[in-house]
Amino acid sequence: MKTTGNLIEKIFYDDDIVKKFTLATMVWAGAAFLFGLIAALQLAYWPLNANLEWITFGRLRPLHTNAAIFAFAGNAIFAGIYHSSQRLLKTRMFSDLLSKMHFWGWQLIIVAAAITLPLGYSHGKEYAELEWPIDIAIAVVWVIFGLNFFMTIRQRREKHMYVAIWFYIATIITVAVLHIVNSIAIPVSFLHSYPVYAGIQDALVQWWYGHNAVAFFLTTPFLGLMYYYVPKAANRPVYSYRLSIIHFWALVFIYIWAGPHHLLYTSMPEWAQTLGMIFSVMLWAPSWGGMTNGLLTLKGSWHLLKTEPLIKFFVAAITFYGMSTFEGPLLSIKSVNSLGHYTDWIIGHVHAGALGWNGFLGFGMIYYLVPRLWKTQLYSKKLLENHFWLGLTGILLYYISMVVAGITQGLMWRAIDGQGNLVYPDFVETVIRIVPLYWVRALGGLLFLIGFILMCYNIYKTIQLAPKAQEEKAVEVARSGYDEVGGTAHRKLEGMGFLFSILAFLAIAVGSVIEIYPTLSLHKYVRPDSITDPYTPLELAGRDVYVKEGCYVCHSQQIRPIAAEVLRYGKPSTIEESMYDRPFQWGSKRTGPDLARVGKKYPNLWHYSHMVDPRAVTPKSIMPSYPWLAEKDADFLSLRKKLSVMKMVGVPYADDVVANADIHAQKQAQQIAADLESNGAPKGLEKKEIIALIAYLQALGQKGKAQ
Amino acid sequence: MSDKQEKFHEYDGIIEHDNPLPTWWLATFFITIIFAFIYYIHYEMGGGGKTLTEELNVAMQEIDKTKATATSAAPMETEESLQAAFAKDGVVALGAEQYTAKCASCHGPELGGLIGPDLVDKYWIHGKGTRMDIVKVIREGVAEKGMPPWGPVMKKEEIYAVAAFILSKKGTQPAGAKAPQGEPVEDYLTK
Repeated sequence: MKTTGNLIEKIFYDDDIVKKFTLATMVWAGAAFLFGLIAALQLAYWPLNANLEWITFGRLRPLHTNAAIFAFAGNAIFAGIYHSSQRLLKTRMFSDLLSKMHFWGWQLIIVAAAITLPLGYSHGKEYAELEWPIDIAIAVVWVIFGLNFFMTIRQRREKHMYVAIWFYIATIITVAVLHIVNSIAIPVSFLHSYPVYAGIQDALVQWWYGHNAVAFFLTTPFLGLMYYYVPKAANRPVYSYRLSIIHFWALVFIYIWAGPHHLLYTSMPEWAQTLGMIFSVMLWAPSWGGMTNGLLTLKGSWHLLKTEPLIKFFVAAITFYGMSTFEGPLLSIKSVNSLGHYTDWIIGHVHAGALGWNGFLGFGMIYYLVPRLWKTQLYSKKLLENHFWLGLTGILLYYISMVVAGITQGLMWRAIDGQGNLVYPDFVETVIRIVPLYWVRALGGLLFLIGFILMCYNIYKTIQLAPKAQEEKAVEVARSGYDEVGGTAHRKLEGMGFLFSILAFLAIAVGSVIEIYPTLSLHKYVRPDSITDPYTPLELAGRDVYVKEGCYVCHSQQIRPIAAEVLRYGKPSTIEESMYDRPFQWGSKRTGPDLARVGKKYPNLWHYSHMVDPRAVTPKSIMPSYPWLAEKDADFLSLRKKLSVMKMVGVPYADDVVANADIHAQKQAQQIAADLESNGAPKGLEKKEIIALIAYLQALGQKGKAQ
Repeated sequence: MSDKQEKFHEYDGIIEHDNPLPTWWLATFFITIIFAFIYYIHYEMGGGGKTLTEELNVAMQEIDKTKATATSAAPMETEESLQAAFAKDGVVALGAEQYTAKCASCHGPELGGLIGPDLVDKYWIHGKGTRMDIVKVIREGVAEKGMPPWGPVMKKEEIYAVAAFILSKKGTQPAGAKAPQGEPVEDYLTK
């Protein structure tokens, strides 16, 4: 690159794309918050599931999480990256066309998600529920974004990349790797597929993905945004360059290993669990490095809290970031995890991060951006102030109620009396106890949403009152940094975009390979004498119903090696028991009891009555009713294709079973329907989805040879 | 912490300082790294740490011991001891309450049978309708028929109370009762 000295060029930044992403952020934030509020109310008051399959909790919750992460946070990230990168790199985005393709492609993906998730098309893996055609679209759009971004870096006028850009680079590379590796699946039909991973492999890959969706979609890009918008809005210098370097590389290298902390006390090999825990503990300081740099940047600008109230959002966001990244390592310690896992404590933890860190940082950024993009003043600082306090109260109510609920329920689950029996053997008792806290949480969510509505009005008025027919102004930029001599090795690296990106990739590749590679040879972990039988065709059809209805969002299928669990549910789950599970359905939360050994525990009629109306057998249950399962026909014909895909990926089905899968299924269905009928259930159920689901539930925990 | 008031770099008007790393921060980082190594060696590299399964086995032995002590300390149950226990004041009322909460969903609110069999006719599937038989079925369940064991869930007094309640209702012939299952015990209703 040649030095052009002080030659001043006039260029135009592409702020139109930033405006588009900003408005999209607002629209999808509203949707995400509203879905969240409805889901929260459904847990407090089950009739709000309304007997409508499209909005039952099992389908609404994935819609809420996907909307919050990919639609709200996603668009916020893009708005901030497109705005700040152009200025930090002193160049317009590489291609307006690619920017537009990125924008419209991403919105289309969100619309596709909003249609397919309520219809029940789901991978059954958390935050990765979208089916394969949408997964491919995400990969393509992400590559378009990456290409546009890296080409922008290439044509920059600022030799050295600022810390925000480092975080954007890590984000773009890692999210691509995570998404592609976790989504590899074999299609069965246009909107259905089975993952190539099974059991512990699928669990490990999924939580490597799931945890790093938090790391590289909700943390690194937002840290990048923090490094740009906080010093900008406060007009304060960034505290420490060397802290930026160390916490950046430490964060990127360590984060990728932490996934298995979602799988503590499961049948995952213990070495992987322990790695997940220790790397989570080591994450504490690198995370707090970001918090420290953010807060110390704001040091000395507290007077601005009065004149520039949007700073409040940044202060609160960074504080919530610090809280969550302390609580995360704490929850990863095995003994703490044994209490908190599967409870609402985790939900509280996630929302302190999502509402406090991502939400408030995003709001602060939008309050900063909109007046500048539309060249005007914010309509009302008073409204902003009200938004802040309503939102903060909402988050605190949400967080406190869920931590209390989680610890209460966790203690009730594990309480054993002097005779060696569970103190609360009835699971529903532990649910009823926390329902009042579900109401408090919903109130918190409502306040957060009301605050957001104030923001919508404020932003709407700001844009409405902005001067019309504005002309884009050119900015004068000069190439800089190219004549810098000397400097540390890292300083030189900041001038080398390509090498920097390769090193960032290597930093995340190490942990990924070391953790995932060993479990890819699953047979090494499976004991030949306790191999399980594959699901029968009917059971497989029932499993697909289980995935479709999102049962995994409230029920786990993994009994931990903890005394209270063994007393409640039976022997701990084994690796072999989920060796044919594609996707694995271990779950992450127990709003209802674990189902790993529910098979043969109750008669078929119990399950029938329970699915049609859970209150018929458990009077205080908060589970939604699933009457449509007894009305809709199960899809037996596609079973041939499904079994052939399963056989292809290594499930030992006999050729005859694959070729006549539907006939095998019908036979088994008739037996179950006959049993139901003889016990008083209606006639003619043999073709219904409910029969397949009952067959699957009765098979859970019954497939092992070494029972 | 003193802020080094000198500009180190500048990007788009953002000035970057280069303050030293806070000592407490570095200390935290190093301590967690040292902890991580020690923890991993202790549990995964032959450092003597117990595996999760070993920890579970210890806990389960403890519970088994507690259970064994509790069982051996309890007096032997006989038809006579149960008769005395069932006759105590308030037992049937407690039984009715427990029945509604735990049994009615399968055996019907009037005991006429639903998912499970009729409990008030003279037909018996498991045993001959003695107090010992009823307590045994409630306590241990009938796994192959889907009757869960209530021993781990209910207290001894509660199980007695439910059995007493069931006996108090024998012969009531509720509407819509399930067809008889099992063998008739001819003198059951008159005994």
